[in-house]
Amino acid sequence: MFLALTEMRRAWGRFVLLAGSVALLVFLILFQQALQDALVTAFIGAVRNQDAPVIVYSVDAQRTLQASQLDRQQIDGIRGVRGVGATARVVQGTSTVRIGNGDLTDAAIIGTDDSSLFVPLELSGGRRPSAHGEAVGSDVDFEVGDRVEVIPAPGGEATSLRVVGVAPEIQLNVTPTLFTDDVTAAAARRAVNPGAPGDLTNALAVQPEKGVEAASLTGRIQDAVPDVEALTREDAATRAPGVDQVQQSFRVIFLLYALVVPLVTGLFFLILTLQKSRSLTLLRAVGARPAVLVRSLLLQVVAVLVIGIAVGLALFLPVSSLRVGSLPLRFDGTVVVVWATALIVLGLLSALVSLRRVLRIDPIEATTGGGGL
Amino acid sequence: MSGTDGKGGEVTSTEPALRMEGVRKTYQVGDEEVVALDHADLTVASDEIVALVGPSGSGKTTLCSIAGALLSPTAGKVVVGGRDITEFSARELTEFRRTSVGFVFQSVNLVPFLTARENLLVVDELGGRKGDAKAARARADQLLEELGLSDRAGNLPGQLSGGQRQRVAIGRALMNDPGLVLFDEPTSALDSHLGEQVVRLIRDEMKRRGTAAIIVTHDQRITGYADRTVEIEDGVVEG
Amino acid sequence: MRLALRELRRRPGRFVAATAILALIAVLLMFLGGLLDGLLDSSTGAYRAQQADVVAYSTSARRSLPRSRIPEDLRALAAKAEGVTAVGGLGTLQVAARPSDEPQTRDLISTVLIGYELAPRGLPSEPPPLGSVIADSSITADGVREGDTLLLGAGRVPVKIVGLVDDTRYAGQASLWGSLETWRTVTQQLRPGQAAPDAVQALVIRADGSPERAASRVEEATDGALEALTLDEAIDAIPGVSQQRSTFNQIIGVTVLVALVVVALFFALVTVERISLYGVLKAVGASSGTLFAGVVVQAVVVTAVAAAIGAGLAALLDVAIPPGSIPFALSASRLVLSAALLLVASVVGCAFSLRRVLRVDPAAAIGA
Repeated sequence: MFLALTEMRRAWGRFVLLAGSVALLVFLILFQQALQDALVTAFIGAVRNQDAPVIVYSVDAQRTLQASQLDRQQIDGIRGVRGVGATARVVQGTSTVRIGNGDLTDAAIIGTDDSSLFVPLELSGGRRPSAHGEAVGSDVDFEVGDRVEVIPAPGGEATSLRVVGVAPEIQLNVTPTLFTDDVTAAAARRAVNPGAPGDLTNALAVQPEKGVEAASLTGRIQDAVPDVEALTREDAATRAPGVDQVQQSFRVIFLLYALVVPLVTGLFFLILTLQKSRSLTLLRAVGARPAVLVRSLLLQVVAVLVIGIAVGLALFLPVSSLRVGSLPLRFDGTVVVVWATALIVLGLLSALVSLRRVLRIDPIEATTGGGGL
Repeated sequence: MSGTDGKGGEVTSTEPALRMEGVRKTYQVGDEEVVALDHADLTVASDEIVALVGPSGSGKTTLCSIAGALLSPTAGKVVVGGRDITEFSARELTEFRRTSVGFVFQSVNLVPFLTARENLLVVDELGGRKGDAKAARARADQLLEELGLSDRAGNLPGQLSGGQRQRVAIGRALMNDPGLVLFDEPTSALDSHLGEQVVRLIRDEMKRRGTAAIIVTHDQRITGYADRTVEIEDGVVEG
Repeated sequence: MRLALRELRRRPGRFVAATAILALIAVLLMFLGGLLDGLLDSSTGAYRAQQADVVAYSTSARRSLPRSRIPEDLRALAAKAEGVTAVGGLGTLQVAARPSDEPQTRDLISTVLIGYELAPRGLPSEPPPLGSVIADSSITADGVREGDTLLLGAGRVPVKIVGLVDDTRYAGQASLWGSLETWRTVTQQLRPGQAAPDAVQALVIRADGSPERAASRVEEATDGALEALTLDEAIDAIPGVSQQRSTFNQIIGVTVLVALVVVALFFALVTVERISLYGVLKAVGASSGTLFAGVVVQAVVVTAVAAAIGAGLAALLDVAIPPGSIPFALSASRLVLSAALLLVASVVGCAFSLRRVLRVDPAAAIGA
């Protein structure tokens, strides 16, 4: 303990540099993890955090709400499949809106004809809509009481919504999102696209009957009805276009960064150990047990990693509440703990090489000399 | 040696290799003034070998450093080979060392990843190859032969014995044909037989070239090989 | 300098580990850069291929191509703006496509049908006839070949691929380039509510003089009903582009900083080991400058080797990544940029050792 700390104090510069590089790497890893989570959530939060276990799109839509279109026949066909309980018609469009007195912005407006199906799972404020024109909005974009004015295209009729509740992580396609009823959503869509047919249904939300598993129901629906794609909620989220790509890309990035940390740490301690070999030999010669030297090394490794992680975390915390463009980052304690543990374990593993070197020291070499030219 | 850098020039026997007059070196340590060298008067003739003897802490290291253009004195005058280096800047001292002084240190002398020949050439290379590369190499090989190391020219220091390493160091010190060579405890790491060999070699080489030398030493045998012994005590030397 | 190089050659072992780490960081930089380039290329190809100076949208669309609608009369006004030499309409429709021999497949290909008048680079000045399209070459990753027919959308509207063109993707999808008539016909069949017989979504404009001036003239000529952007501005305005660019560049920047710290760390350790050697060298007349230059030379060589290894690994990654899985485009300029950044970081990182080299006192070599 004394040995380890004294050395660190005397040669603090290099330990600071090492802890510094670990800190930067930890910051990068945490930041990118948060970025990935935020990206995925901002794309499909609305799908992942609504209450319908099964969603049916038209197959041409490639799992995008807005591109999906189900006709009467398909809807009836889905409703007729065994195991299908309650269903709700889902209507979605993207409009230009003004929130309160703010600037013009885009908003995705999602409507359902069953107020208990395809609605946000939980609210973070306010209440659920109880009348036409009321909506629940994504809590990073809206506040309870906001009046949202839909800006019509030429030939369209203006309409507006009132935000009565807000919910966390319900964005769709990185856009401010409102959940409302189908009539209101259709009106909003007509405002920006007056030529669109009035009773367009984008997707069907399905509640399986009691005792029926969502996963098996999706297969049955697809077999029974032509040109539809039925997905469980989780699949609809993770297999949405772009999400898979984002996750694959980040996987490679994390792998590379995660490798750099133990490599830098391991190299540092190996060089240190080699440079100290004469002092270490001396210590062994005057009676220090190998365990003492090993403990000293491990203590330093853990200390550097812990400090590096702490500093990296401290750098990340203020960033974690920012937005990257329109993406709100979020601080996830579990993620931090998992990464911190993984990096400490990797760092300790990397120190094994130095450990071996320390254990191989033969105290007799103190007397035989060697070195020095 | 008046006005030249000592590169291959004839040594005129009149100008002393070293003249220190009233040299004093002090350091400021906090509020106190530490006296490393109190008062040094020392003259070394152009082909003289002087043994410098004194207990540790007597200032002999400081004296050698000043004589070897490693340090500037706080007071007094230092003239090496006819050139007054008292007021030289750090850069001028560096240049002077490279061209006019030779060193053989006590422990670390050689660059561990260079061969014996390359260690001799390192001075020339550090000077940016102002001279003729072929001439330098020829000179290195000649020195190695004189020192009995021709067959070891391509060996790394790790492959040489203690005595051989010392001889390479001597060769390196002589490469730039200095007027003055400083030896710091050249025999302390060697056994008596080897030590005597090395000292004899030093004397032969110095005398052959007519180069002056100051040898810092504890070793009584060395004083026998020197022309003169000078004692330094408590920072004071008269010689 | 020679000294430094000789040490590298004679004792490569001590530099191997630093080289390995820097190579890893180099791969990281190149991968990140390639990812960014791939994303950007895949979003902006259709625009970068345009041989024009200005792109105009309807102002109410707020720079969103799918929302924009420009009727014939506005187009005529724009065409009359001073300096304008040519105006072409552009219309797009995002559709899922099926190969004609698998009309019932669930494996759809995401495409964007683009109707054009003024030809982008690589496309014929006369658009293909009704029902024919020229496809972006990336579509071959989905098994589609020239001469195949694709069935578009739920209505399975057939279009025949009569040619291929490179690097014209838009919004992450392979583009199908056809005449405006083809675009209108398909839109009418698939999305009747969106079709407009005389309108286009955007105008592609060629003009004399500076693009900025041309853009403002177009806006003036249409009394602000059109928003005109230079081609570069239009590319930046494509959704996601500027965000991706700034986010990735920030991450790349911090990674370069990591490289800097790693180099500083490594050379700090190595310099400490060499203190006595530096003392001797200074004593025999080496200046601090020479010794430090040696450190820099070693850093540069180590980094150059690491960058080369990194580039090799990045190229391997490029080959290993199946086309279409993640957007990845490794260009020579990206490799060179990453290597350059690494070299700069490396040289700056060395500076941390400068003080220690300066501080070595040659006098300490005596009596050591």
